[in-house]
Amino acid sequence: MTDIDADARILDRELKKGSAELIILSIVEPRARHGYEISKLIEERSEGQLKFHVASLYPLLYRLEERGWLQGRWVEKAGERRRRFYTLTAEGRRVLARQRETWKSFVKAMGLVTGVDHA
Amino acid sequence: MPDPSSASGSRPAEPGRDWNDELRARLAPLHLHPTREAEIIDELSQHLELQYEELRRGGTEDEEARRLAAEELLGPEALAGYLRPLRTLAPPTTLAPGVPRASLLRDLAQDLRYALGSFRRQPGFAAGAILTLALGIGANSAIFALVDATLLRPLPIPEPERVVMISERTSSSAHERVSPNNLLDFGERGRSFEMVAGFMGGVGGMVMGGADGIAETVSRQWVTGGVFDALGVKAIVGRTLTMDDDRRRADAVVLSESFWRTRFNGDPTIVGRDLRLDGAPYNVVGVVPDSAQLIGKTDLWGLVSIQGAPPRARAARVFQGVGRLRPGVTLAAADADLSAVASALAQEYPKTNEGRGVTLEPFADAVIGADLRQTSILFLGVVAFVLLICCANVANLLLARATVRSRELAIRSALGADRPRLIRQLLTESVVLSTVGGALGLVLGAAILQVAPSVIPEGLLPPAVTLTFDLRLVAFCAGAALFVGLLFGLVPAFQATALQSAQALAANSRGSIGGGSRLRNMLVAGEVATAVLLLFGAGLLLRTLMAVQNVDRGYRAESVLTMMVDPLGSEYPTSEKLLQFYDTVAEEVRALPGVRSVAWASTLPLGTSYEGTRFVSIVGDPPPQDGTLPSADYQVVNPSYFQAVDLPIVIGRGFDERDIPSGVPVCIVNEAFVRAHLQGRSPIGMRVSLRSDVEAPPTEREIVGVARQVKGRPDETDAFEQVYIPMAQDPLGDMFLMVRPATGSASVLAPSVRAAIARVDRQQLVSVRSVMTLEDVAWEATGRHRFRAVLVTAFAGLALVLAMVGLFGILAYSVQRRIRDLGVRRALGATTGDVVRSVLSGVARVLAIGLLVGVALSVALGRVLESMLVGVQPLDPLTFVLVVAVLGLTALVAVAGPAWKATRVDPVVALRAE
Repeated sequence: MTDIDADARILDRELKKGSAELIILSIVEPRARHGYEISKLIEERSEGQLKFHVASLYPLLYRLEERGWLQGRWVEKAGERRRRFYTLTAEGRRVLARQRETWKSFVKAMGLVTGVDHA
Repeated sequence: MPDPSSASGSRPAEPGRDWNDELRARLAPLHLHPTREAEIIDELSQHLELQYEELRRGGTEDEEARRLAAEELLGPEALAGYLRPLRTLAPPTTLAPGVPRASLLRDLAQDLRYALGSFRRQPGFAAGAILTLALGIGANSAIFALVDATLLRPLPIPEPERVVMISERTSSSAHERVSPNNLLDFGERGRSFEMVAGFMGGVGGMVMGGADGIAETVSRQWVTGGVFDALGVKAIVGRTLTMDDDRRRADAVVLSESFWRTRFNGDPTIVGRDLRLDGAPYNVVGVVPDSAQLIGKTDLWGLVSIQGAPPRARAARVFQGVGRLRPGVTLAAADADLSAVASALAQEYPKTNEGRGVTLEPFADAVIGADLRQTSILFLGVVAFVLLICCANVANLLLARATVRSRELAIRSALGADRPRLIRQLLTESVVLSTVGGALGLVLGAAILQVAPSVIPEGLLPPAVTLTFDLRLVAFCAGAALFVGLLFGLVPAFQATALQSAQALAANSRGSIGGGSRLRNMLVAGEVATAVLLLFGAGLLLRTLMAVQNVDRGYRAESVLTMMVDPLGSEYPTSEKLLQFYDTVAEEVRALPGVRSVAWASTLPLGTSYEGTRFVSIVGDPPPQDGTLPSADYQVVNPSYFQAVDLPIVIGRGFDERDIPSGVPVCIVNEAFVRAHLQGRSPIGMRVSLRSDVEAPPTEREIVGVARQVKGRPDETDAFEQVYIPMAQDPLGDMFLMVRPATGSASVLAPSVRAAIARVDRQQLVSVRSVMTLEDVAWEATGRHRFRAVLVTAFAGLALVLAMVGLFGILAYSVQRRIRDLGVRRALGATTGDVVRSVLSGVARVLAIGLLVGVALSVALGRVLESMLVGVQPLDPLTFVLVVAVLGLTALVAVAGPAWKATRVDPVVALRAE
């Protein structure tokens, strides 16, 4: 087993926890974005702390699409390759709100238990 | 920072292709649907490419940038591992022979999902295609209902092919009525029949007295015993009329189902009870389904006994014979059998039967009639053309779309989707379109059938032959949808997949396919040709309609109220009593305010002839050389008739008080009669011999006047010969009352006229029916022409619109494709005129070819329509000119938009777009 595969397994577990979903839904909340843009924004906003690889990002996008939280659409523009843009669906918006609440309570609980200031 | 241009210069050619291979290898274990796989590869390779370019821009060396980008894919199994749990990445699709069915079905499900998705992305295209198809299939389904009812579906009686109509045949007519005695002999001596019976052609009225004291007129047809057995109609309740009833001379009636249900609420105890009809009791023996109305639309059937008819009745030809063949007997065998009987009868009863044979005709042919069959076939042809145009339009839409999609298809094919697989995908899309269109068409067809009864002229469809919305229609729509889906989908599918993938990938984003345009032009030319053909047919039928509507009917009265007044015979047993009744009614009506004149007539101008014809000859003239017996329409009228309808007497006098029963028998003839029989001699004082039958004793009448010609039928080809008889000298049992108002519309007089009749008819024994104006009669008489003309015109209009949409489509598409070319021309100094010419030249060729082919087809069509035309030649030049004008004008409208757009092309913008 390569290191990369091990890395992937760790990330996999991370994804299953649901925080990755929360991140992606938040990123596309203001407007439709394509995959590359999503991955760049995650990296940028986490100041390089979080990075999704192609091999995990897209399966995750497809899964969110499958659940009806995101909608992917091919958009063609003159003189450019067509691009797939992802938008938040109404259902996705509800899920995002709920997950934000859950996350807040989780972080708060962690702070109370561990004494780590969550600011 | 290195110069980005040098970075891109050192970039390996087509990095995307490399990523594609890499990605395809990683996705391979998933066996994805080719479409889905292509999409994933497209999306991910883009990401990798962007990543790579960013790295290069950041100064990373080419090889390192490639390695870092590739790391995004993690381990060789990572991508597939993450994707595997996803439900929407449907399992493998293989097209190897012998694959299990399930996988083909799964394919279909995927194709369907994909098709629906693609229509959602292009709702305009989908809506256009579906609407076009719905129109085509809807029109076709409605016409199918007509064709099904008249040509395809067997009549609603058991084994209709065994039922035949029996008529007597003479040298002058193949369809004469049958006398009761002959009918009995046909049944007894003929060995081919299970049953021979008869019915009276016309449906009359009877006054039915109700227990509640309210009398009403019901329709009644006289039939002989056994007629329902001959038809194969079984009673729903009780029994039908038997030969035994006939023998007993029973006063028996059978009710039709609809009458039984509406008037008696379907009460089964009505059977066995008596109904008071025309003041006498008639026993109800049973109720039969409405399918029995194939012989006449009536509320009830009354028994007229023929057994034991006196020998002289052999000359009374009043019945239409109907027989049921024994199983296995052919029409020809039955014909030979009855012909032998007829010749035996001719020898036994030469006085009445000499020279008389029989004519047997399949019942269905007699009921439906040649005219209706012809109309049905005409409509079927018309709507089939409309459907073809719809197909061509949708095929064109698909072709245009396929051209745009050629790159997508090429990618998919490069990714391993084989041609049959792509064709199947494209066909699935077509069939989805046509299925939705077909379903909408079915709804449209049902809606048309809902309103059809109010549009279809009275009497076009025989009674009991109805247009129904049933499973057959649904099946037809489904079949039509599938057929057109494959028809319009196949060509674009082959066309779109015919390209080598490399060729399509190399083509730029404008992706033009030359062959596609040629095909599209051909389709539109075909549409134009079809539209021309239909317009020409519509033009001919419209001109026929105008001719028959504007025909000089002969009489001048604008508005005349008419109604059939039928007093009960037993109340007025003698001619004197009958005349007295008619006179009293006329006096009562004439006294009404607003009435200008009142008259009686046996037949209305342009109405059905109730009295039929009489054999005529001029007394003293030798009989015709060729043995034919001339006949003329027999019309009984009272003296005020000519004044009431404003029909001038051109020579001699009208009828007056001299023409009484005891007076000299007189008649008035019309102009055609004078031309045919008097050869320049003065008609007044000539004597006409009239016979109802060749063997009947002649009546001689002196001609006292000549009336102006009236039309018997609006589309008659031979001038209609008429003999008018004064009512006083031959009063009939039922007559049309005609009331002309002093001013205004006659129809407002109807209630007061009916009330006046009721004042005379205190015992409620007079049947009043068919209340209408002479205008209505004329309108009905032209109903068939109107129906044909209106329907064909509507379809021609539809065809024209569709063809113009097609024309607009190819032009708009070609302008779009040539924007750059037009820009260059503009930049090189082409004028607006040059641009318009260059754009329109292609369209003009399409239009010209379509027009030429259409005109050539129209020449053939004119001959087919010939028998339906009146007052217009099949190759009418004016119609041709009008069709070309209409086509030209609508084509101008269709091309104006795209041509204007072409002239507005800005060279700078057009060239920059490249």
